[in-house]
Amino acid sequence: MSSRIFPRLAVALAILALAQPVFAHEQVGVAGGLASGLLHPLTGMDHLIAMVAVGIWGAQLGAPAIWVLPITFPLVMALGGVLGVLRIPLPMPEVAIALSALVLGAAVALRLRLPFAAAAIVVAVFAVFHGHTHGAELPGSANPLAYGVGFVVATGLLHLCGITIGTLTRWPAGGRLIQGLGVVIAALGCYFLAQSLGAVA
Amino acid sequence: MKYWLAFTSIATAALIASAQTADAHIVASRLGDFYTGALHPLTDLQDLILWAAMGVLAGSLGASKGRWLVLAFPLGLLAGLGLGRATGFVSAGPAADAGMILVLGLLLAAAVRMPMALLCAIAFGLAVMRGAANAGDLGPETNRLLFAAGLACAGYAAITLTMAVTLAFRRPEAGASMAWRGIAIRAFGGWIAAIGLMMVGFAYAS
Repeated sequence: MSSRIFPRLAVALAILALAQPVFAHEQVGVAGGLASGLLHPLTGMDHLIAMVAVGIWGAQLGAPAIWVLPITFPLVMALGGVLGVLRIPLPMPEVAIALSALVLGAAVALRLRLPFAAAAIVVAVFAVFHGHTHGAELPGSANPLAYGVGFVVATGLLHLCGITIGTLTRWPAGGRLIQGLGVVIAALGCYFLAQSLGAVA
Repeated sequence: MKYWLAFTSIATAALIASAQTADAHIVASRLGDFYTGALHPLTDLQDLILWAAMGVLAGSLGASKGRWLVLAFPLGLLAGLGLGRATGFVSAGPAADAGMILVLGLLLAAAVRMPMALLCAIAFGLAVMRGAANAGDLGPETNRLLFAAGLACAGYAAITLTMAVTLAFRRPEAGASMAWRGIAIRAFGGWIAAIGLMMVGFAYAS
């Protein structure tokens, strides 16, 4: 019996002696700012579906939209971000963001082929509103630069995700699947629009 | 046998419990200031973004233009460090750093073809700025020569590796099938410019 107690006691002592403090979920400084910036566009469903829809629509429109979009969108969104940082208000931002999901989802569902300049203006207007919402959070974050890096990278990756999904348009079945996805995005946009107008809880 | 096992277990536990931090590397010795100089910029997000953007910009312009940065960038860091120590000038302010991020991002996003002299001037200016900023954390007991050597080595390694990776990724000789790689680099520039633009706004807001 004693021969079993001693090794166990020794192991228990060793474990206790080697114990280190646990730093789980250390949301401070750079790590905290980066995590909150990365998660901000991902945790808001209205932002997420609109960003993915932008990528899909860009892929449906083809060149030059498919490559101009990922280069210029973050910049236009950052313009909105600056307005948010400077606390310059925009009219009905929640309604505009919900509307962006509805309009972009409908554009994907209908395979709307606008001239490039018109499509760019539509996307740019919505980008300013999305950027404004993200930018308003920036001054309060643990590390503003890390927050900015996080949310720009997350937004860019959501576009990339949308463009990747959009490449399915090369196949007829994939094209129909994407149109169905556009219907879902537009329907969610309708819901968010009703919510922002106070029609649903 | 039983007592032997118990004795061995207790001895092992005592050995483990009395373990100390191993000083296998020479950070804790006199050469520690070299590592301080090398690691200091790599733990600052501002330095990381600016250095990466500079390296990618130089790499995107090709090896013939970028290779001079291998020399110009570390020398600029040393000049900035010396300037910071001599004059007490440590930072041009957050707006200048943010503006530099914005400019580098815009140059990348627009795929501007610039002459080698201008590229070297931008890299040297950036290195002077960041060298001076790193001088701000030099303590009175820090060995300046070792710190400067570490900083210059880190700058040399970071800029050379980033340029090399960008050149290898871009592969301009691969033709139209690899055109997306150039677009990816420009999109990266768009991201950098967006971060810079927001930080410019933040610098003026705070």
